[in-house]
Amino acid sequence: MPLTQKQGVESNLLLLEGTVDIACAAELKSLLIEGLGAGKSMRVSMERADSLDVTAVQLLWAAAREAKAGGVELVLEGLVPGPIQAALGGMGFREFRSAMGMS
Amino acid sequence: MGQVSGTGSVDQFRQSFCEEARDVLVELESALLELNENRSDEGLVGRVFRGLHTLKGSGSMFGFDELAEFTHNLETAFDEVRNGRLAVCSDLIDLTLKALDRIRMLLEDDREKAAGEAPLRAGIRSRLKKLTGSCEAEPTRGVTNAPVVLSGQVRDWHIHFAPGADMMRTGADPFLLLRELGRMGGLSLQASMDAVPPLKELDPERCYVSWEMVLATTADRDAIRDVFIFVDDCCELVIEPASASSCETQEAFKIREVCAADLTAIGLADQRAGTGGRRVYDKADNATSLRVPAGKLDQFVDLVGELVTVQARLSELSARRDDPEVAEVSEEIERLTSSLRENSMNIRMMPMRSTFEKFRRLVHDLARDLGKDVELTIEGADTELDKSVIDQLSDPLMHLIRNSMDHGIEAPGMRGTCGKRSTATIHLSARHSGASVLIGVSDDGGGIDAEAVRHRAVEKGLVDADATLTESQIYSLIFQPGFSTAKQLTDVSGRGVGMDVVRQRVESLRGTIEVVSKPGVGTSVTLRLPLTLAIIDGLLVSVGEAYFVLPLAVTLECIELTRADVERANGKHLANVRGELIPYIRLRQYFDIAGDAPEIEQIMMVETGEGRYGFVVDKVLGDCQTVIKNLGRVYRHVQVVSGATILGNGSVALIVDPERLVQEVVRSLAHGVRGRPLGAGRGREGLQSQSTTPADGPGHGDRARSR
Repeated sequence: MPLTQKQGVESNLLLLEGTVDIACAAELKSLLIEGLGAGKSMRVSMERADSLDVTAVQLLWAAAREAKAGGVELVLEGLVPGPIQAALGGMGFREFRSAMGMS
Repeated sequence: MGQVSGTGSVDQFRQSFCEEARDVLVELESALLELNENRSDEGLVGRVFRGLHTLKGSGSMFGFDELAEFTHNLETAFDEVRNGRLAVCSDLIDLTLKALDRIRMLLEDDREKAAGEAPLRAGIRSRLKKLTGSCEAEPTRGVTNAPVVLSGQVRDWHIHFAPGADMMRTGADPFLLLRELGRMGGLSLQASMDAVPPLKELDPERCYVSWEMVLATTADRDAIRDVFIFVDDCCELVIEPASASSCETQEAFKIREVCAADLTAIGLADQRAGTGGRRVYDKADNATSLRVPAGKLDQFVDLVGELVTVQARLSELSARRDDPEVAEVSEEIERLTSSLRENSMNIRMMPMRSTFEKFRRLVHDLARDLGKDVELTIEGADTELDKSVIDQLSDPLMHLIRNSMDHGIEAPGMRGTCGKRSTATIHLSARHSGASVLIGVSDDGGGIDAEAVRHRAVEKGLVDADATLTESQIYSLIFQPGFSTAKQLTDVSGRGVGMDVVRQRVESLRGTIEVVSKPGVGTSVTLRLPLTLAIIDGLLVSVGEAYFVLPLAVTLECIELTRADVERANGKHLANVRGELIPYIRLRQYFDIAGDAPEIEQIMMVETGEGRYGFVVDKVLGDCQTVIKNLGRVYRHVQVVSGATILGNGSVALIVDPERLVQEVVRSLAHGVRGRPLGAGRGREGLQSQSTTPADGPGHGDRARSR
């Protein structure tokens, strides 16, 4: 399963693994809404992700924008794999990378 | 990145890809065959290369990896041709044509078959390798191979790409398209997230992101658009040449990166302003055409047919009630139904081009196999015909072409002896003629040996040894089942099956076949087919209690026929129309309808392939939209009736096929009792007297009144 939500006391952790694409987009949306609605900060880990498609990117983007507007912290945890970094850059997602705090 | 998901609709869009890829294959085949004739034409080389490139890239995008990999080998070979390192030769053309056949099979998406054909593909790869020398095609996955090297001047293009709402659900991945684009040159791009809605409102399977790009490439607009060919009906695409120099454009683009939403920076603002803020589609086809499954179209036409029937009932009802409001509504519905019917019929009309073009390959392959030099010429490819008719034409045309190539066209040596050009010609043509389309297949071969046909027909017991047959009747014998004069059976023809298939198929389409042949000069076969098989404009007539519909397109005029006229003609069935004697057929007698004819009858004059004829009826009731209903299997042999239709009052009217009715009557006269159709014997007296003088006719000069 590419998506796992771990509940913490102060924050929730959303783990993205393998291929995160349209097949799990509906689930990712639910987890992001649930995570942001919990009133805790949210950490997203892509360390074990192999690839993201555009549906995943736009969901994360919308979540980051909503978190910022609601004063909720949404941060990336751990390293983002090089291929994903490169692909995001190559596809012109500078705004997204900036919003997610990627280098 | 760029994984294709496994949602339910993906299969549907893979199927859509397959359909479009088949179109690309047709275009490729056509370009290859043209290239075979003009081997130094760089434009044709470019067409072939682009087609292969599109197939490969899009195949990969939709998960047809084997197809993409195999096509890559061909693409590489044609890249060598483009770069002048490989010359176009017959081997390359033949090999590529064979490869296209394998690709067509791969589109069937049948793993077992694909595996079974692996050795064939390997063989083609190996031969390609020999042809291209050291240039071995590297296997490819997706679109990650080396950038396409393009020669020529580098130009900047502004590209706006917004995937449509459903594009992701189709299994298409914009990332793969962008990577493909990146292979064409230097690509700078900026993703715009402006349209992404709040999380709760966001449809997770929809793409909201759009891209603004600058591509510096030697490729032209068509080549760029080809990258998007399989998604162009579900995306917004603008491809604009940059007006500024490359450096300025790049600079402008950097500024855009700061203000991503500012479309004006790359010149799109003018387009938006000019359309009230609506985005302009770069490609006209985007806005004006879409692919619809034929089944849906058939269903639509069926429903229109039902509507026409109901509308006829409403008109009937309205006529019986003296209510001006109902009459007004009824007339309005009639007008709208008529327009809808015409539109729905037009939607089904397709040009013959694609059907004709695919025979280039057949002619090429057969010419090679038979050792003959044959060129195919095409005329009237834009002639339109109902799709359901076109779909059934491929087989008959194929058999006619095979027959011409095998039996009609002489061996090259013999052509020289006859003083003919060594290159023979097969000519395909299409043109409208009234409510029919004439499809012709002709050749400049040796012609049909009428005596040999006749001799063979006598041997087979098809005709009596002493029968008097016209040339046309002799030629029609070649369409009999199992009939062949071939001394030798070949792979191509000679079993006497093909022509029978032609006859059966054309008859099932309610068409006719005409053969004209001249020894030493060639043969021409013309198929006369109805424009449509669904709804026609008809003229409603009655005979006693029976109703008939005549296709309006073939009717000429209506003339009164009095009993005095008949008596004056001594019972001969001829009408004198402004000095011309026109034979007529009494529908009352032909269809054995009881009751006496009225004092004054009506002759409906029609135009047929046999000339002008008249059909005598009691009354002419007026024109009507006619939904053709099949009579079913029981009446399948009743050729003179095309079908039936339900009238507004619930009665059934038979739709007469004037062409066949006349043919049947003429044939029954020629054959005597044998082959006489239903009741035909009664109507022949008048037709037998066609050679009589004008004075024999019922009306003298002006007596025949045209309405």
